[in-house]
Amino acid sequence: MSAFELEAVVAGYGGRAVLHGVSLSIAANGSLAVVGPNGSGKSTLMKTAVGLVRPTSGRVLLEGGDVTRLDAPGRARRGLGYVPQEANVFRNMSVRENLKIGLEFVPGRVRASFAQRLSAMLELFPELEPKLGTLAGHLSGGQRQMVAMAAALMPAPSFLALDEPSAGLSPRNAALLFEVIGRVARYGVTLLMIEQNTRLGLGAADEGLVLVSGEVKAKGPAAGLLDDPQMRSLYLGSR
Amino acid sequence: MISYLIATSALVIIAAIAGLALNLQWGLGGLVNFGLFGFYMLGAYVCGLFSVWGAPPLVAMAGAIVLVALASAATSLISIRLSEDYLAIVTLGFAECLKLFISYEEWLTRGTLGIPGIVRPFAAYVPQGYGDAAFLGFAVLCLVVVFAVFERVARSPFGRLLRASREDPAVADTLGKNVLVLRLKTFALGGAALGIAGSLHAFYYTYIDPTQFGTIITAYAFMAVVIGGRGSNVGVLIASFTVIALLEGSRFLIDVFPVLDGSQLAALRLFLVGAGLVAILIFKPDGLVREYRLRATRS
Amino acid sequence: MAQLLFNGLVTGLLIALPALSLSLTFSVLRFANYAIGAQITLGAYAVYLFNVPLGWPLLLSTAAGMVLAVAVGLLVQALAYEPLRARSSVTRLVASIGVALALENVVRFFAGNSPRGYGVEIARPLRIAGLRINQEQITIMLSVLVALVLVWVVFRFTRLGRAMRAVADDADLAAVRGIRRGRVVAMVWVLASALATLAGVLIGLDATLDPQMGWNYVLPVFTAAILGGIANPMAAVAGALTLGIASELATLVMAPHYRAIVAFLVMAVLLLVRPSGLFGKQWVAK
Repeated sequence: MSAFELEAVVAGYGGRAVLHGVSLSIAANGSLAVVGPNGSGKSTLMKTAVGLVRPTSGRVLLEGGDVTRLDAPGRARRGLGYVPQEANVFRNMSVRENLKIGLEFVPGRVRASFAQRLSAMLELFPELEPKLGTLAGHLSGGQRQMVAMAAALMPAPSFLALDEPSAGLSPRNAALLFEVIGRVARYGVTLLMIEQNTRLGLGAADEGLVLVSGEVKAKGPAAGLLDDPQMRSLYLGSR
Repeated sequence: MISYLIATSALVIIAAIAGLALNLQWGLGGLVNFGLFGFYMLGAYVCGLFSVWGAPPLVAMAGAIVLVALASAATSLISIRLSEDYLAIVTLGFAECLKLFISYEEWLTRGTLGIPGIVRPFAAYVPQGYGDAAFLGFAVLCLVVVFAVFERVARSPFGRLLRASREDPAVADTLGKNVLVLRLKTFALGGAALGIAGSLHAFYYTYIDPTQFGTIITAYAFMAVVIGGRGSNVGVLIASFTVIALLEGSRFLIDVFPVLDGSQLAALRLFLVGAGLVAILIFKPDGLVREYRLRATRS
Repeated sequence: MAQLLFNGLVTGLLIALPALSLSLTFSVLRFANYAIGAQITLGAYAVYLFNVPLGWPLLLSTAAGMVLAVAVGLLVQALAYEPLRARSSVTRLVASIGVALALENVVRFFAGNSPRGYGVEIARPLRIAGLRINQEQITIMLSVLVALVLVWVVFRFTRLGRAMRAVADDADLAAVRGIRRGRVVAMVWVLASALATLAGVLIGLDATLDPQMGWNYVLPVFTAAILGGIANPMAAVAGALTLGIASELATLVMAPHYRAIVAFLVMAVLLLVRPSGLFGKQWVAK
């Protein structure tokens, strides 16, 4: 059984479809990177996956259960963690409070106290330990991404969606962040990410999917897609 | 009956002029003037004072127009760098302070005693008993002039610029400093019309005191604009002559409903104005008449 | 002079509760609630209803009045503001003027225009360290301080407080974290209405009840909230105290009935000089 599935999803804004029947599935604890040019529908796909956009047809399945009709808070309660692009921490709250909020409003898959989950997260992101009392708005972009991921992982979700993690980061910081994402992928969570930077995105995932004009142009093992010369010249650019 | 009709018509025409002023400031320019009644009150007092000091009525009215326009411009300057929320409170603050000032500075305004004996324009040439009818004619003339001028403004390049800067902050940004001038002019022009409305108020009653002026005047103007359709001058006229006429007419229902006393009836009317304003915002966001424009998109 | 400072402190505390209420609704709902004055009036009269016609003691009446005012607050949110949720903040701001007019006239309809007072004994003022202190002033100080501490504790240390701050900070992200916006908004109205009611009772104790009483506070309340940087509830309290003391000191050079003009001047100068408020923009962090 797949941990996460989109079944022939058609979705868009104000009656205009952006996704024209997109299907994908991710195996439990697997990872999928969706790449594609600007305007290909990547972010609509992400919003549909996490419940911010409701599909006009098709289904969204989380661990086999139909969550198509659930809104974002509803899906969060069902074990879907989401790290939005850039605006992904509560800037006027401390890192500790951000993490606390990550746990507080979703039931959590495992019974664990805040202290237990906090120490698990600090193991995964030791960089955050000295920053717990800092306002999240005062952190660097890369640190904020870490706080956002840690907050999303606090309730130990089965599934984590990352929205353009490299957005707004310098190439060097983006590379560092993807090292962290590698850690997260190994942590035991099903991972879906959309990423502008093809090389980084495919490099951090098992599987890859190329989305162009709202349709799936190719999917397969990430490494294979990266090495396919035709793919690279057609859809992925030279990056 | 005839006197009811004349009284209601006069009040509706004055409300329509205030509505047109707000329609320029808020409907067209996006500038929320919550202190509308203050500018209106200033107009009435300047006109009334000039008049009792011996100025001919039309000169007194001209004075009111100029001074209210200046006061409007100055008030908009305070919040010129800020969003509409702030303009709303600044204008309201101006209005409340003005009302306080007028209520307490007796040497100038006679305070709560009010100013009696304001002379209407052309009073000397009007035969006995036709004063109200003649006043009505003058008020209609004022309304026509304001309407004509504001229609021209709405269709001029200035009006287009106003709409553009209201709807698209990017446009406002590219205009930069010019937005300041734009806001200032809009507020001043609207203020001039409020000066006219206030003067007509003073002429109509021939006696003014601070209790005649309050938020209800502001609320009527907002109703006229919201019902009529933001940005549409024709809509403001239609709304004034229907809804506001009904509300004003209901003043005289007191003879019909003896169960409620006068103050209860007044409270009921004001309650309906408030609830009605909210209801229209919810159910009829575009109002009755579409704004003049080439392309119809609206948030 | 000390007496003036003390009176200013009390005035500031009276303004603090509605200013807190205003900036709470502003920070979560993103619009300036001009009905705050009408909420004060409504709350004061709701308490009066239990206190005088029904003869309940004032403390019990205050609790009952708060419940009534909260119910009205939730009703207004459901009927007026929720349907306008997707519209611009200016639309809701205009709607709030309509709400203000409606609420104030509900009070007028039932209670009439003549001033009223609560059924409390008038006690002799105390003299402490050369200050003349009324019983009412002591009641005001204690009630406001208790209310402020309670609200602060809720904000800082409870799940509800974190939810409110999270929605205020970033409503979309809060939804993603599983926070139900509707419930947070409802709780904001509960708190805001309760604070306005308490303010109404205290203002009624300090002076008298009349349908205009809340409206007269709109200007100082907005000024206090703007002084604090409007989206910052706790700084609104600091803004209120500053304004209260400034307006009392101004009575040295201006007639006392011109307090509102002092508020307006303070606001005008502030908006020209430092639009983000005296105390910065952020929520109290530490």
